Amino acid sequence: MSLRPAAVLLAALAAALACDAGLEPEPVCARGLIGLCGIAHYTGTPPAETEAVFVVAFHTYPRSCADLLALPPNFQPFPPPPLPRPYADSAAYSVPLTAGRYEWVVAVWKKPGTPTFTTNDTSLFRVAGQYPDSSNRAQAGAATVPAGGAVSDIDIVVDFDSLRPVTDFVTCTAAP
Amino acid sequence: MHRRALIGLVGLTLTAPLPATAVAQGAGGRAGGVVRGEVRDPRGAPIRGAVVGVPGTTLYTFTDAGGHYRLAPVAPGEIHLRVAAIGYAPASATVTLADSAGADFTLEPSPLELTPLDVVSTKVPHFGEPATSVAQLTEQEIARRAVNTVDEAVDKAAGVQILNGQINIRGSTGYVQGLNSRVLLLVDGVPMNQGDRGGINWDLLPVDQIERVDILKGAGSSLYGSAAFGGVVNLTTRDVPTGTHARVRATGGAYADPPHPEWRFRNTTGLEGGVDLSGSYGTETAGGRVAVGARHSDGYREQDERDHWQLAGKGRWQMTPRTRLDVSGAWAVDRYQVPLSWCRRGECADSGQVYQPFKVDTTELGARTDSRKGYVSAQLRTVASERFAWQARGSWLRTHFTDYRRSATEFAVANRFGVEIRAEAHPDAARTVLVGGEGTLSDVQSDVFGTHTQSELGAYGESGQQIGRAHVTAGARLDYLAVDAGSMTAVVSPRIGGTLPLADGTLRASVGRGFRAPTMAERFVHTFALGFEVIPNPNLRPETGWSAELGHTTPVLGAARIDAALFWTEARELIEPQLILVVDTATMDTKAKIQLQNVTRARIAGLDATVLVAPIPDHLTAMLAYTYLATRPILAFRPTHLLTLTGDYAPGGTGGAWSVGADFRYASRPQRIELEGFVDERRVAVKVLDVRAAWTHGPVELRLLVANALNYMYNLVPETLEPVRTISVTAVWSY
Repeated sequence: MSLRPAAVLLAALAAALACDAGLEPEPVCARGLIGLCGIAHYTGTPPAETEAVFVVAFHTYPRSCADLLALPPNFQPFPPPPLPRPYADSAAYSVPLTAGRYEWVVAVWKKPGTPTFTTNDTSLFRVAGQYPDSSNRAQAGAATVPAGGAVSDIDIVVDFDSLRPVTDFVTCTAAP
Repeated sequence: MHRRALIGLVGLTLTAPLPATAVAQGAGGRAGGVVRGEVRDPRGAPIRGAVVGVPGTTLYTFTDAGGHYRLAPVAPGEIHLRVAAIGYAPASATVTLADSAGADFTLEPSPLELTPLDVVSTKVPHFGEPATSVAQLTEQEIARRAVNTVDEAVDKAAGVQILNGQINIRGSTGYVQGLNSRVLLLVDGVPMNQGDRGGINWDLLPVDQIERVDILKGAGSSLYGSAAFGGVVNLTTRDVPTGTHARVRATGGAYADPPHPEWRFRNTTGLEGGVDLSGSYGTETAGGRVAVGARHSDGYREQDERDHWQLAGKGRWQMTPRTRLDVSGAWAVDRYQVPLSWCRRGECADSGQVYQPFKVDTTELGARTDSRKGYVSAQLRTVASERFAWQARGSWLRTHFTDYRRSATEFAVANRFGVEIRAEAHPDAARTVLVGGEGTLSDVQSDVFGTHTQSELGAYGESGQQIGRAHVTAGARLDYLAVDAGSMTAVVSPRIGGTLPLADGTLRASVGRGFRAPTMAERFVHTFALGFEVIPNPNLRPETGWSAELGHTTPVLGAARIDAALFWTEARELIEPQLILVVDTATMDTKAKIQLQNVTRARIAGLDATVLVAPIPDHLTAMLAYTYLATRPILAFRPTHLLTLTGDYAPGGTGGAWSVGADFRYASRPQRIELEGFVDERRVAVKVLDVRAAWTHGPVELRLLVANALNYMYNLVPETLEPVRTISVTAVWSY
């Protein structure tokens, strides 16, 4: 008889310990993604003429408008998929890319208009944010997409109150 | 068995004459005499809710909070009294009565004793094993679990699962957003399913006013009519004891933070709390009680705050020694934010997650529901003689909700009026006959359900007969249903059952037909859900089904009791939501829409078993309840395995100051959900552990509850997270 309470308690303990965690977080970087993903943290108020925000990546940091705006483009993916609305708080994003090192991962704001892939396009686009270097957040950081895999935690702050013209980053012959 | 357990008849005395009122109304003694007394445990503590009666007659009553009972009118002569209470060995006594007599009883604790008492409010015999499985929750069990709402209490019963407010007994009900219920709710025997949706407002009554919950498993339509397709739940509210009494119950608690930082949604700790106050005064002739209460919860999720206010009252009047009138009512007001579905990627600040179970879609931020509901009921019972009694009741249930959404505001106001009259006859000690008639008129006024009425008329009869050692009952009910005064639909619901005492227990078996009339909400709903238009279907037919059960209960080695039942339901015309393609005749466009249709022919079968163990009687008890369910085709929201493991330990025995306990509940992952492909299909098994401790000193009780102690994250219906770990303290003072 004395074993029965112990047996009951052991059964209860075993049942309790059998608990796993149930539902668990599931990061956006889903299985099968080849590219990069992260979280876009939105600050400021999106301008009324906002058409889209998207993230693109350059293998090498562009030095000129020609590097920035050319066909075939120097950035991936093309055409770039817009980030999901609403542009508030924070949201996950994923960008499919080929494997390799990317020196500039940038969030681009676009207003309505058709790109011509000339320097005239500088009026359509603004740099809304970039993936920063971990040691110097004012500078661009590099991300490396492994072969057949994805790199995560490429978080970018998208600041709608500080949309910067591309001429802040590259030299262009035409006025923005 | 019961004779062996007969113990402790400590007082059997002829007592003083009746009070003047009773004597005056005795009509020269024709009204009969009175038997009074007390029922207590060996420590002298009163046992509330024990049934005292004369088997085979109309005479029965319950003990009040002080353990007192009063049985009348009893014919002079020798009478055989019987007393039973859950958790105690029953007792009997023979009393010789002139005008009045007294009989006090002391019942020995017997945790394995599960004698069903007044099973589901007097429509079945008051003593003896019923032919259908019954689960009961006593006031002590409800208090021990320190739950705050009635559905939390019911959810702990064996073989029962509450799915987001919708009750599922033995797989009868899935989950249809509260648009129906295949389980009938009674409050003191009065039907309380909503007039429009047929669902159940579990917050209609404060849990502190509930004395006992009886759950009849399986089809009960032969006595209860529509909605008793899968079972019947009866809430017995506290009776009004003699003398002056008061009770205060206060509770406060805190919700745990999400277990993963990615799921954090606020920087503060969510709190909950509430208070219930009640006071009563009663004499032997009349009495009344009023209860008020309020509750607030910050919620455990985003947009999950809720406020609740309630008022409840009950009165009794022994109009004559033969006639008693009971009146009760309640009014509850709720304002709760609506979490709706959890956030999926892109619908909120998802922090890089595919889904955020603690957050909601930002497009529905600000959604809330205002809900008001109340009822009044009156029941009159006249015991014409020991052989004949009749009872009449009238009731009015009103529900009113308004859903405030960004996309739309929806409302519905519904009334449900009910009347019933029934007669109970005992031609001889071995036979019982019950006949009755019931009418229900429901109406609704709503921008989603339209303006409609539905009437139901029913007549029923059942007879119970002792045949040798077996007790056999047979009966049937005929129901007529009409919507908007249109053509009537008739449904016949027969049932036969019996019990047979064996050397090692009792065998029971029953076969019956259940049905459920479509609710007005199901017929006429016109709204939008999951991005689809939901269109009405006025031609819905009643759901029907044949249910059978074979059960056996037996004691084992004096330290355990096993109850097992095989159940089987063949259901027809089940009403389920269907995604259909509809061609717009004007534009010839084809659109997908949702409509409720009679579609499913299903078989629901399984095993329901309960093992109650008392290895150290009066100190340690444990219960294991298991339900295995198999459905063909696979029905949505039905777990194949449902297991509840409960243990309680009281170092000082029953009545001691301290006790600790735990509940563990497991439900397997449902194989199917509705509208797969259109909702987040993520779901897991349920594995929830609740632990509790209690301290009692005189009129004060303190209870600590850690619900979901392991902070297990799970959902029962799509995109709706169930509660996180919640630590609460409840203090009760009774006078």
